[in-house]
Amino acid sequence: MNAAAARDCDAAALRRALQALESVVLGKPRQVRLCLTCLLARGHLLIEDVPGVGKTTLAHALAQVLGLAWQRVQFTSDLLPADIIGVSIFDRASQQFKFRQGPIFTQLLLADEVNRASPRTQSALLEAMEERQVSVDVTTYRLPEPFFVVATQNPHEQLGTFPLPESQLDRFLMRVTLGYPDAAHERELLRSGDRRDLIPALEPVLGPEALIRAQQAVRAIHVSESLLNYAQCLIARTRERPDFRLGLSPRAGQGLIRCAQAWAHLAGRSAVLPEDVQSVLPAVVAHRLERRETASHGSPGFTAGTDAADELIRTVPVPI
Amino acid sequence: MITARPVPRQPLPPLLWVCGASAAAVLLHATEVPPWITISALGLVGWRLAALLGPARLPGGVARAALSLALVAAVFAQFGTLDGLVPGTALLMLMAAVKLLETRSRRDQYVVIGGALFLLLAGCLYGQALAWVPLYGADALLCCSALAVVAYAPVTDTEAFAAPIGLATREVLALAGRTLLYAMPLAILLFLFFPRLPGHFWALTSGENAVTGLGSTLTPGSITSLTASYEIAFRVRFDGRPPPRDKRYWRGFVMQHFDGATWTVGWLPPGLTQRLECLSRPYRYRIYLEPTFRRWWLALDTVMGSPSASVRYTSDYQLIAAHRVTRPLTYSAVSCTRVRSLAPLAPAARREDTQLPPGRNPRTRALALRLRRRAGSDVAFVQSVLAFLRTGGFSYSLTPPPLGPRNPVDDFLFHTRTGFCGHYASAFVDMMRAGGVPARVVTGYLGGKWNPYDGTLIVRQSDAHAWAEVWLHGRGWTRVDPTAVIEPERLYHGILDLLPHSVSAPERLVHAWPWLGTALERWEALNGWWNDRVVDFNSRAQLNLLADLGFRSPQLRDAGWAFAVTLLSWLAWVSWQLGKAVGEPVPDRLGRAYAQLCRKLTRIGLPRGGHQGPLAYAQAIMRRRPDLAAHVGPLLEHYAELRFGSGSERAHDRDLRAFERAVARLAVRRRERPLRT
Repeated sequence: MNAAAARDCDAAALRRALQALESVVLGKPRQVRLCLTCLLARGHLLIEDVPGVGKTTLAHALAQVLGLAWQRVQFTSDLLPADIIGVSIFDRASQQFKFRQGPIFTQLLLADEVNRASPRTQSALLEAMEERQVSVDVTTYRLPEPFFVVATQNPHEQLGTFPLPESQLDRFLMRVTLGYPDAAHERELLRSGDRRDLIPALEPVLGPEALIRAQQAVRAIHVSESLLNYAQCLIARTRERPDFRLGLSPRAGQGLIRCAQAWAHLAGRSAVLPEDVQSVLPAVVAHRLERRETASHGSPGFTAGTDAADELIRTVPVPI
Repeated sequence: MITARPVPRQPLPPLLWVCGASAAAVLLHATEVPPWITISALGLVGWRLAALLGPARLPGGVARAALSLALVAAVFAQFGTLDGLVPGTALLMLMAAVKLLETRSRRDQYVVIGGALFLLLAGCLYGQALAWVPLYGADALLCCSALAVVAYAPVTDTEAFAAPIGLATREVLALAGRTLLYAMPLAILLFLFFPRLPGHFWALTSGENAVTGLGSTLTPGSITSLTASYEIAFRVRFDGRPPPRDKRYWRGFVMQHFDGATWTVGWLPPGLTQRLECLSRPYRYRIYLEPTFRRWWLALDTVMGSPSASVRYTSDYQLIAAHRVTRPLTYSAVSCTRVRSLAPLAPAARREDTQLPPGRNPRTRALALRLRRRAGSDVAFVQSVLAFLRTGGFSYSLTPPPLGPRNPVDDFLFHTRTGFCGHYASAFVDMMRAGGVPARVVTGYLGGKWNPYDGTLIVRQSDAHAWAEVWLHGRGWTRVDPTAVIEPERLYHGILDLLPHSVSAPERLVHAWPWLGTALERWEALNGWWNDRVVDFNSRAQLNLLADLGFRSPQLRDAGWAFAVTLLSWLAWVSWQLGKAVGEPVPDRLGRAYAQLCRKLTRIGLPRGGHQGPLAYAQAIMRRRPDLAAHVGPLLEHYAELRFGSGSERAHDRDLRAFERAVARLAVRRRERPLRT
């Protein structure tokens, strides 16, 4: 199979994956596309919304459709780092300690309600996300490739939660919010019952190898100087504005470009356009922008951040 | 369980700021208009606030119209006119407050703030003293803050994308302050170079305020306690050496008419026709006169001519202007401390200056006749009367006992023998006239104190003085100061130094604490600078400034040119700064062609949003004009490819030219009938 044919094949597979996801998560094509974009850009994904709008369903479906080995951990306040990473056990037979891998040793980790765990456990997970490896005692274990974390969290539920600090929010490349479905799709949902029943029937359309190839293709999407100008203008504006406590970091800027590349790839283009940047911008930056007004109560309200991202798009002109 | 999120502290609503600005503007005029106007305007502001914060309801359209008409009628009833500064101000105050009642949209709020700013301008017409400046500045800051709050306020859903920003109070004040600072250079420019028309455009006030200084009548017997006021009457700056202390007589009114108890100005003398001979060296000086609300201008005795064409120089050496002095005034004059007039006294003037009421003060008259008979000449008569005053057991006091109404001079000379300058001058002139010597009372000021910080001589109301003039053959009118005979120190010291207990409490404080006096002197020096350089910056001063800048024989037109040139350069500088801040790069060849394409589309009603990329633009066009898709769509895609595609860094000349040609060829037309979908 030559390279061009493989590329076409992968593109077709990505399209099928999108279709499959949309058949499970009704009426949210944009969010579904964003989730896939995030994984193609080799980033971790945070899905945030009120309970019962399909966060976990979406995460399940992603794992299933991508054909990855996956594990699910329900985060609770008494979850310990060892419950995720693994633990060394004394083996009587060999008379030595043996490391038993935790659920993190998988290709896609579904971390449900990540903000219910204690900060210590959160930080163990987030460290693994950044390094793509875990250290237990003196040994370092590499995590499988590819490795993704899809985490869900519930912003309104304050009691018994530990909000993620900005530094850890920053580890998530994207934050996607789902929102309530529109009337037609809601009726469909009411009629058809639990969507999760559909997930086992989904056919895995990509495997780990195809996904890695797609990720490489994303890296090859052309980013022109004009586009970099535009991205820099956007980033600079977030730092100039007095009502943001923090502007966007260079890491956020890199993530923005990667996501725009992935978005362009999903759209079948070979170069990034300003429209691609605008499409991914709210999901990439909203959780990293903190407004001054909300600074005093923990995590930034996501509505304000999204509004700020929309305003950013409106006010920064596209260079001609 | 779900707990409520803490609600972020809301910034103050814009309407609260608008109400504050209105209230401040109303209060600025509280002293100028009748109290009911201030109270009504504040009441209307309060009504709006109550409707904003509480259950009060705003009036409907009919009620508002009726209220407005009623208020206009009330103002008319109060003043009898709607014309003029005070009625106009009152009307503006009330109408701005009524406007507040129908404030709903952002535009209304701008209008109300505009009204408040106009009231501030009106306030500047009333008072231009330095002490008012901080108040005006604070009011301007408040209005600008209100403007900023309104401008930054979250708007209705129609402008959905503008995120609700809402500034905190400190940010608002900082923003307004910065804006005012940015405006300062322009304000200074306008002040210095905006062509000024000669004459006092601002001199609209004609307030009949209480007269604190010289009165135009003098009734020594009725005053039992004279309180020396620390207020400044005028300031003087001498060119060169000032006259000696005992020669610093500042001439105000001349009083010729006496009814036995009260001296009044009497007739208005004709202009001076004969020449005065100067016997001392001439003194040149500049006077900065505070408002007196009289027509007299003060000058060092004896002034040698009128300082202004509109001021009459009378035969008794007074300066009488056509209008009352209602605002600080500056003029230059030349005086001689000793003069001689050889012209004879006109018969009418002699009649006036020897006039005495019949049957009043008989003992004084008898004494005067006796002394005159004994004296060989008028000069000897003057000497003998002065000797009588010196040796008669008289004393100087600011709290003399009252004198009888019928024969006050008799009472003073033969019973109380205690009084101040007015008593002595009055009695002396009475005696002179009784002896047949023409004489008159002159009031004005004596002395003054040097302010070390600006080198001016400050003459206060407490330096007010009265003296006498007698007509002596061969010498003309000659000044005689009988008070100096009783209290020679008065020539050298102010009343404050002589009689520290007869002055009012604040002046005693100044006297007791020298540092307070020093601070006052500094403040007065600053005030003098302000009046001299800022308030009095008239067309002449402006032309002088231009001459200093190198214009030869400058005219108003030059001021206009200088103004225009500086204004333009300031604007150029500002726009350059603004342009730099935006940092818009100059478009390249492709950008120019694309801009041309966008212009063509804008002309047919399809403008590109600044944030729209080429493909989003193409989609937007396609939604509204599907017929153009075939022409415009490929062009925009071509541009996207050239600008952002993989070859964009080394775009070929050929591709560029093809794109340019395609843009040039594109002919699009506005649709004949606008389709609404």
